Amino acid sequence: MDTTKTDKITELTDGARVFAPCRAKCPVHIDVPGYLGAIGEGRFTDALEIVLERNPLPSVCGRVCLRPCEEGCRRCNLDEPVAIAQLKRAAADYGSYPTVKPGPSIGLSAGIVGGGPAGLTAAYDLALAGFDVTIYESEERLGGMMRYGIPNYRLPDYALDRDIDHILSLGITAKTGVQIGHDVTLDELRDIHDTVVVTAGLQASRALPIPGADAQNVLAALPFLAAANRGEKVDLGKRVVVVGGGNVAMDVARTARRMGADEVHVVCLEDAEEMPASEHEVDEAQREGVKLHCSWGPTAVAVEEDGVCGLDVQRCVSVFDEQKRFSPTFDPEEVNRFHADTVIFATGQGADVADLGLELTQRGAIDVDPLTLRTSAHGVYSAGDVVSGPTKIIDAIAAGHRAAACVLRDLAGRPEVLEELDQDCVVLGLVPENMKAKTERQRRIRMETLEFYEAVETFDEIEQGYTEYEAAREAQRCLGCTTGARLSREKCSSCLTCMRVCPYGAPGVKVGGFLYFDAETCHACGACASQCPAQAISLEGQSDQEMMRRVEAVLEDAGPDTTLVFSCGCTPIVPVILGDDIRDLTVTCLLRVSEATALRALRSGAAKIAFTGCVESNCRYPHTRDLVAQRIEAIRSTLAQIGLEDRLIVTGASPEEDVHLR
Amino acid sequence: MIVVRLKPIPEIREMLEGHSNVLLVGCNTCAAVSLAGGEKEVETLLEALRLAADAQGSDAEFTGGVIQRQCEPEFVEDLDLEGYDAVLSMGCGAGVAFIAENTDLPVYPALDTMFIGAARGFAAWQAECSACGSCVLGQTAGICPVTRCAKGIMNGPCGGVKDGRCELGDRDCAWVMIHERLERQGQHDNTCTPPKDNAAKTACPEWDMGGHRENVKR
Repeated sequence: MDTTKTDKITELTDGARVFAPCRAKCPVHIDVPGYLGAIGEGRFTDALEIVLERNPLPSVCGRVCLRPCEEGCRRCNLDEPVAIAQLKRAAADYGSYPTVKPGPSIGLSAGIVGGGPAGLTAAYDLALAGFDVTIYESEERLGGMMRYGIPNYRLPDYALDRDIDHILSLGITAKTGVQIGHDVTLDELRDIHDTVVVTAGLQASRALPIPGADAQNVLAALPFLAAANRGEKVDLGKRVVVVGGGNVAMDVARTARRMGADEVHVVCLEDAEEMPASEHEVDEAQREGVKLHCSWGPTAVAVEEDGVCGLDVQRCVSVFDEQKRFSPTFDPEEVNRFHADTVIFATGQGADVADLGLELTQRGAIDVDPLTLRTSAHGVYSAGDVVSGPTKIIDAIAAGHRAAACVLRDLAGRPEVLEELDQDCVVLGLVPENMKAKTERQRRIRMETLEFYEAVETFDEIEQGYTEYEAAREAQRCLGCTTGARLSREKCSSCLTCMRVCPYGAPGVKVGGFLYFDAETCHACGACASQCPAQAISLEGQSDQEMMRRVEAVLEDAGPDTTLVFSCGCTPIVPVILGDDIRDLTVTCLLRVSEATALRALRSGAAKIAFTGCVESNCRYPHTRDLVAQRIEAIRSTLAQIGLEDRLIVTGASPEEDVHLR
Repeated sequence: MIVVRLKPIPEIREMLEGHSNVLLVGCNTCAAVSLAGGEKEVETLLEALRLAADAQGSDAEFTGGVIQRQCEPEFVEDLDLEGYDAVLSMGCGAGVAFIAENTDLPVYPALDTMFIGAARGFAAWQAECSACGSCVLGQTAGICPVTRCAKGIMNGPCGGVKDGRCELGDRDCAWVMIHERLERQGQHDNTCTPPKDNAAKTACPEWDMGGHRENVKR
C-alpha cells in the first residue's frame, strides 16, 4: 500500500504563515478561527482579546462590518458561512475589555486629524507604541461616519462608545469640535506634534448637477444622516425620493421611514443586480416598505411654487461601458416623474480637505506616496478614505494600522511593524471534495431581530445579538481551519498513530518515513494530538500547558470540596453533580484534557474531577467519542490502582435545550 | 518492533518504595510506538506517582524525561542522573538493562516486554517473532510457529486443534494457517522438518557476554 501523497500539501509549521481564508480576506487579518474557538468554549473575554490584537473596534465591526471574512469561510461550499461578524459582537457583548496600558513613553507626540475608524486605529497603535496621542475631531463626539453616518438602528451609540472608551483608556486626548484648517491650521499642529496623521474621511456629499438640485427640500445624505443620529427631527413631508443605489442610500431611505415619511422611493441608475448596496441591506429596506426603482437616471428635480414636487427621470439603458467603466447611457424617450415632498441625494461622498493646504489628487483626495503614506508636508501622513476614496470600515482600520506602522518606521526606528503588515501568507483553499461527505451540514443560527413593522417605528437596534449559548453553538460550526495539527519533526517517532485515529486522512507519510499533516483536510478535532505518544502534535492554542493554565485559573482558591468539571463544549448542560463548590471548565472536546492534565488537576486543588457532556446527539466529532471513553477509563483505572477512584466522577447527563453555557 | 506495556502501578510503586528521588526515563523508539513509553506515557505515570505520593503524605519526588533510544550508548550517555536515587525505565528490557549497566543506581522496569510484533491498527499489535535465533519462516510461509503456536512446536498441528482453532481457545491454530498458506503458494509437502536448534542464538558472538567486548569499536 502506498501511503505517500505526492500532491501539493499545505502544512502548519512554525515558520509558515498559513491563514484560513476568513483571516486572509479580512483586511486586518484577525485570527478568526482563534476567536471562534474561544467563543465555542464560552471564553468570550479570550475571544475579545484575540480580536483586539488586530481590530480596536470589535463592537462596531461585530454589528456593521461588511464581512469580507464570511465570503472566505470554508463552510461556504458546504452550507452557509459561519456568522463571523455577529460572533465578534458576542465577544464584545459578553467579554470584558482588557485593561490596556500605553507603551513606555518614547518622547514623541502625534496629532490625529479625524476621529473615525482610521484615526482611532492609528491613535490606538501609536499610543501602544509609546506616543503621546491627541485626536482632533470636528464634530462634537468621536466616531466619524460610525457615529454620524451609520443609523442608530444598525449601530447604536452605546456599542460605538464601548470601543471608543477602550481606545481612549490608553490615555489618548480627544479634542472635539475642532476643525483643522479652520480653527487651527495644519502648520500649527505640526509645531505642536512630532507627526500629524490626517484621517479626515469623506465629509462632503456629492449632489448631481441637475436643474433644481439646489431647491429647498433637496437634501444631501450625510447631513441628513448626521441630523438623524443627533436625534434631530427633519420635516420630510409624506413622500421622499432617495437618489442612489449604495448602502448609504439604503440607510437614508430607512432613516426617512423612521422620520415619519409614509412613502420612500429609492431611484438608482443600476439594475437590481448591479446595485452596489449589499443584498441584505436592500432586502431589509424593502421589508420596511421602501420602494426600489432601478435603471432610472435623474434629469431634474421638479419644483413648483411651494417647493419640490418630484424627481424627473429617464430610462438608464446601461451603466458601465465594455471596459467596466462608469459611463451611463440613457433612453430619453422613456421618462417618468416620481412625486416627492423631499429629494435626498445619496450619490457619493468626497473629501473636504482643501483648507489643509496639502497637495491633492485630481479627484480631490490627499496625495500620498503609497509606500510611505507621506503627504506633501513634512511629517504629515494621511490614510483612510480621504486618500483612497470610499471603502469599508474594516479597510479604514487597516489603513489606520498602516499609517501608524509608517510613522513607527520613520520616527521610532521600528520598521518591523510595517514589514509584518506586508508579510506574505499561504491561504487554505476550498474544503476538498473528499471532505465534504465527512463534514456535517449545519444551518447558521439566525440572530433574533426586531420585526420590521416595529423596527420602522423607532431607531432601536434591529439585531438583538446572540445569547451566549447561541453564540457558542454558532462558533462551533467553525471548521477550525489552520488551528489543527502542528507537527514537531524533532519529537515525532513516526509511530503512525495519528494516521490510525484520523478519520479525515489529514496525516500522511513522506518518503523516508516522515509524517506530515495536510492543513486543507485537517478539521482540528484533536484526536491525533490526544493520542500522540511523543507529544509531537499540538493544536493552535490548545497545548497541554495552555490547558493546565486554564485549570489552574479555574481552581484558584479551591477548597476541600472543590470539584473541577471538564465539560464538553458541544453539550450545553448544567452539570448534575452534587457538591458545594462546582467549577466548570468547558473544552472543545473532552479529548483535549490529557490523562496527565486530569491527574495534575487533582494535585492542583481539585478534590474531585468530573467529565460531563460527551453526548452523541450534540457531538461535533463523533469519531472521538470512543477515544474519550477510553481516556476516561484510563484515568479511572489509574486512580483505582492508587486507591483514589472516588476522586473521579463521570456523568452521561443528557443535554437540556436552551440552557446557556456558563 | 518490540512491543511493551505498562506494568500495574502497584507493582511499580512497590519497587520504588524507599526511594525519595526517582527519574522516569521514556524511550522514543519502540516503547513510544507501542504507546507505553513515550513522553505522553511518562507524564501520565509521573502524575500518577506524584498523586499517589501526595495522597500518602510522602515527600518522594519524581522527575521525567525521554531519550531517543535506551539501547544506544550515545543516547544513554546523555542521561544526567546526578541527585537521583533510582531510575524507572519506560523502555523495553534492553533499555532497562542497558541503563543499569551505565549507572550504579538501581534501575527498575515500568514496562513488561511482550514480543516483537507488527501493528494491526490503532493501539493493536500482533506477536510475530520471538527472537529464537534460527529462523524457520522460510519453511512456514512467513508464519512463526515458535511465536504463534501455543506450544511453539515444529511439524504441527498437534492433536488439540479443532476446526482450525487452538485448544487454548484464544487463537487460530498457527499450523493450520501455515499449511493452508503453503498450499495456496503451491509449496506444500509433507516432509518432516528436523528438530530446531533452540540454543542457536546463544552461539552468536553478540550473545557472548564476555569475550567480544574489547573488539567492538565504540
